[in-house]
Amino acid sequence: MNLQEKIRILAAAAKYDVSCSSSGSDRANQPGGIGSAAKAGICHSFADDGRCISLLKILYSNHCIYDCAYCVNRRSNDIQRTTFTVKELVDLTIGFYRRNYIEGLFLSSGVINNPDFTMERLVRVARELRQIHRFNGYIHLKTIPGASSRLVKEAALYADRLSVNIEIPSEGNLKMLAPEKDYPSVLSPMSLIKEGIVQYKEERRIYRHTPLFAPAGQSTQLIIGATPDSDRQILSLAGNLYATQNLKRVYYSGYNPTNLYDSRLPAITAPPLKRENRLYQSDWLMRFYHFSVDEIVNDAHPDLDLSVDPKLSYALRNPHIFPIDVNSADHHMLLRIPGVGPKSAKMILAARRFRKLNSHHLRKIGVVMKRAQYFITCHELPTATIQELQPERVRSMLTMDLRKQSLPNAHQLSLW
Amino acid sequence: MLEYLYDGTFAGLLTAIFHAFRRKEYPDVILRPQGQRLLFATTHTVETDDVMAQRVLNGIERYGGKTTCEQLLHAFLSQSDNVEILILQYARELFFQKRPIMADLGNSFVLQIHKLDRRVLREVQRVLMFIRFERSADGIYFAPFAPKYDVLPLAVGHFKHRFADQQWAIYDTLRDYGFHYHGKRVEQITINAPAFSRDSGKLSVEMEHENEDDYREMWREYFRSIAISERLNPTLQRNFMPKRFWKYLTEKRI
Ligand code: SF4
Repeated sequence: MNLQEKIRILAAAAKYDVSCSSSGSDRANQPGGIGSAAKAGICHSFADDGRCISLLKILYSNHCIYDCAYCVNRRSNDIQRTTFTVKELVDLTIGFYRRNYIEGLFLSSGVINNPDFTMERLVRVARELRQIHRFNGYIHLKTIPGASSRLVKEAALYADRLSVNIEIPSEGNLKMLAPEKDYPSVLSPMSLIKEGIVQYKEERRIYRHTPLFAPAGQSTQLIIGATPDSDRQILSLAGNLYATQNLKRVYYSGYNPTNLYDSRLPAITAPPLKRENRLYQSDWLMRFYHFSVDEIVNDAHPDLDLSVDPKLSYALRNPHIFPIDVNSADHHMLLRIPGVGPKSAKMILAARRFRKLNSHHLRKIGVVMKRAQYFITCHELPTATIQELQPERVRSMLTMDLRKQSLPNAHQLSLW
Repeated sequence: MLEYLYDGTFAGLLTAIFHAFRRKEYPDVILRPQGQRLLFATTHTVETDDVMAQRVLNGIERYGGKTTCEQLLHAFLSQSDNVEILILQYARELFFQKRPIMADLGNSFVLQIHKLDRRVLREVQRVLMFIRFERSADGIYFAPFAPKYDVLPLAVGHFKHRFADQQWAIYDTLRDYGFHYHGKRVEQITINAPAFSRDSGKLSVEMEHENEDDYREMWREYFRSIAISERLNPTLQRNFMPKRFWKYLTEKRI
């Protein structure tokens, strides 16, 4: 099979992994070497589905000894299979990188022979890139479930980021769909990486030349809609992972119907894009807006409201904290105003030191006044806020507005 | 009405600002050579003077810091209508307040400068994103580009750092100049008889490295295969990657 054929098969097999971020590392170019990592990451293209292409995201092989029901590469699926050689992948990465097509490599694989055999191949690709080609671009490696800790640690020496995909948001459902997997086999490499990173950071403080250990941290992915797990379950798991495993990102991947005959899976025809988008918005609330999981979903509201974004939904459920005075509220409260993002919150804080802000200023700064107007007071005549109008009126006025604008489905958008 | 004429360079504009301060007057427009002249206006022609320009720049740096200098340069590069007057206003206010005014976003010209700065920086970012090199027969990685603003100089450092071990050249096909890195330094170049197509940026076949076509086709294959067909979203794709970039994009051009 020629190389182009392999690319076709092994890129298509990797496309359901949604992570493509190249951020979080600022590896500098070493003399005589090629490449550098940009701290904020760079997208080089956008695929026909609108998703960012930053890394060469590809599988080493789509052969797999496992049979996870939700995965295209499962053993029982009748598809064309192929495997790269280490050299092919190394050359391809360098060749693409030199042409400014990519920021680096995101390498994953089905399990060939056994987990360690596979992991060893992935590590070898990364090692050759770093040591033979002195490649300083971004490398993201997937750890293969069941791989030995020796290989996981070695991977962290070469990779900027590692990921361990949990895929199914609850252990019971994971066991049902992927009988050969369980949570311990996923979570133990995660803890191992976390401890390695902590240790590395300590040593780095003392010895400046401590070798890098996954400097861009680790991430994971959850598949949404393949199992009946609630949003509360999903977000609690994510919140937990951020808190206890120091994950950099949790990715949510709306289940694509890749398995049409298995009755353990829901019969859907399209991935649940809206729900996926709401989960990303909630994830943003947790990471950049100081929200706790309980404020977003809880016993009374275990699932996200698909008709409005989670921040607006929170505001409608908590009218008592509004209206918020933009000329005096602290950062934390500014971030709770629908229509105010982290950027505009910062700009409000800076600008109000010079003068009192009115709605004209706010609009110019980038506050979405259409939404914010019901939740704020500023330096001018009072308008009708959620207090006078009641949450239901505000909801209907805002959802009418929203229907006019179509909802983007990509998570790399700024969402408010 | 009072109009100033200057040569369209940043140093020229700074000189014009120096003149306005020294003459204690406030021009209604500061015009580039191709600018729309006013009727019945008094005209003052500004001769670019590096010493005067430097003095204004030093003043800006003293009160506003390096960031303000950069912000004003970026805003200038936007070539937006009347940006010269905005920069003059900004400088006057800065010299009056004698402290950074960057954060005073309730002030309309500060906000406008802020926005122009961001607009130009976004274009710089797009150079980093969408440049595509093709390898020529003599081993130089070549990339033509047509940025909306004159921002190539702001992007060159990134490529010098990243591709320190390969020879490359980036060419602005609209402004007809570019930069060539030959392993040590970056030099500005102009190309007289281009060996590349201005429509597609493609090198002519005899100029191309022998396996260039393989890489091109493999990248196009990758681009096709990575999209999820159940999620096609051409609008989103165009928002992130506007059509004006497509003609030089290996994966998008025809
Ligand atoms: S182990 Fe990974 S590649 Fe193999 S079937 Fe399961 S999810 Fe797919």
